[in-house]
Amino acid sequence: MTATTTRTTAHEGAAGRVEVHGLHKSFGTLEVLRDVDLTFEPGTVTVVLGPSGSGKSTLLRAINHLEKVDAGFVTVDGDLVGYRRRHSRRGGRRGDVLQELKEREILGQRTRIGFVFQGFNLFPHLTVLENVVEAPLSAQRRPRAEVEPEARELLSRVGLADKAAARPRQLSGGQQQRVAIARALALRPRVLLFDEPTSALDPELVGEVLEVIKDVASTGTTLVVVTHEIGFAREVADNVVFMDGGVVVEQGPPAEVLSRPRHARTRAFLDKVL
Amino acid sequence: MTAVTTPGAQTPSAQTPGARAPGPAAPARDAAANPYADLRIVPARHPGRWVATAGVAVLLAMVVSSLLTNDRWEWDVVAQYLTWPSILSGAWATIRLTAAASVVGFALGTVLALMRLSRSPLLVGVSWAYTWVFRSVPLLLQLLLWYNLAYLYPHLSLGVPFGPEYLWFDTLGVIDKFGAAILGLGLSQAAYSAEIVRAGILSVDQGQQEAAASLGIPRRRQVTRIVLPQAMRSIVPTAVNEVIGLLKGTSIVYVLAYGELFYIASVIYGRNGKVVPLLIVAAIWYLVLTTLITIVQYYVERHYAKGAVRTLPPTPLQRLRWSSAVTVARLTGRPVPPHVPPAFAARARVGVLTRTARTSGGPA
Repeated sequence: MTATTTRTTAHEGAAGRVEVHGLHKSFGTLEVLRDVDLTFEPGTVTVVLGPSGSGKSTLLRAINHLEKVDAGFVTVDGDLVGYRRRHSRRGGRRGDVLQELKEREILGQRTRIGFVFQGFNLFPHLTVLENVVEAPLSAQRRPRAEVEPEARELLSRVGLADKAAARPRQLSGGQQQRVAIARALALRPRVLLFDEPTSALDPELVGEVLEVIKDVASTGTTLVVVTHEIGFAREVADNVVFMDGGVVVEQGPPAEVLSRPRHARTRAFLDKVL
Repeated sequence: MTAVTTPGAQTPSAQTPGARAPGPAAPARDAAANPYADLRIVPARHPGRWVATAGVAVLLAMVVSSLLTNDRWEWDVVAQYLTWPSILSGAWATIRLTAAASVVGFALGTVLALMRLSRSPLLVGVSWAYTWVFRSVPLLLQLLLWYNLAYLYPHLSLGVPFGPEYLWFDTLGVIDKFGAAILGLGLSQAAYSAEIVRAGILSVDQGQQEAAASLGIPRRRQVTRIVLPQAMRSIVPTAVNEVIGLLKGTSIVYVLAYGELFYIASVIYGRNGKVVPLLIVAAIWYLVLTTLITIVQYYVERHYAKGAVRTLPPTPLQRLRWSSAVTVARLTGRPVPPHVPPAFAARARVGVLTRTARTSGGPA
């Protein structure tokens, strides 16, 4: 594991250290993740690169347990995601076991791990403000009087204070993705996962979304960004991970991986993308 | 606000491209830049449309004349019985039956749909079997079965299966004619509603539930707040179809001699022999009730269209209010009231004042 620079944490003591150990995942006969080991240090920005089908999205979805893995585990600040270690006193099979968590508990864990989708997935029947306050109200059961001003604050941070009453379809793609980021931030997550956040956008709208992500990066939340924006990786990432065929081919600071890749596969990919 | 009488104050949208100056250039620009500026637009002719219109008009006149001149319709009898107290009570009974059976049908139907989509094989199986049975057996047969429930089970009780009983009812006391009708109509409706609700839920993008799950929104809230409201958009039109079918289906309940609209009408014509006029009376009431349901449907659909369309089109009532406001403003020379959207005010004005503006766009 390459040592990465740790930024100052602005969130209330929440660290956001993500560890991924021996992850395996197959869809049918296709093995999408093959023994993936990664550590994301608190407050760092990691960009995950790789050709499509290399397992990047599945990795992200496994981290917040949208995808159940076949083997391996994920921890956030030492807590297993989706399971709990407990002692079983059942007859002949005495010993520690991994108890699968109930859906309600998994939903609770997800409030600490934000997720931003490629297709935004805003709730089209709710206004922008309702989209942002929904999860803090219903998942974290915080009072509306506290949540709503905070949501407006977040919307102005992503530059959409005047769109609070609009509905998603009345916004451009870039604006929708900025709302989606505000929605994820409203839960004050320790970790924020971005699954190709700019791939569904027109080229001229990519910049505004990357600006917002850059701003979020400076607040000390741990970010994992799957993207094809090499420029963004070079500028913002502390760590670049290159994946291909379900394995991590190489990783390191952007200056190394992007400028002096050690593996032929990385070089071939970068040649095509750049 | 735009003053309609002063052309200088027109909003940009008022300058319909086809009206005067086709092409992107504004009308005031020099003619050299826009060689079409001074040309008049001749609307396309549609002779076929005129012939068809005339033909249908003649047919319509024939229908109206036969309705008015044929004494056997007995319109005076129709008018007399239309508001007859027992007919009104029959119509009210039909409304009650429809409402109660719809509520039972859609409540149970939603439960069945959620069961069908659950991960428990037993729940899926039970839901599937329910739909299978209740869709297969004719409604008429079901009604008679429910009415004869007392023969199978003289008393009903609540308790533990194979164990003690706690509550005890006389079947005939619980399932009277109305009860049997509600059970028959509602339970068979549930089978159809279940499929409608399930189709609606499946029509919502998978990403919506994924997004809700990734935000940690509780499961029940995911259904009620995120998925169902969006499913309603495709559920409502078919559901209203079902309710209208149910409204007319209540006439089948006459086999139980329950006093709904059709039964009452048949009792009256059985006594006085005025069969056709009383059938017309019943038909008119069914028409009125269906119209009311259709109006409700319009507004319900509009409610759930929020977010699915960028801007909602105005309702017929709004359109009427706005266009009359625009007309008043035009006649009195006063400005259009501020509640009328500028785009609409402009459209109404162009439509009234310049005929050529009706061509859709011109060579833009």
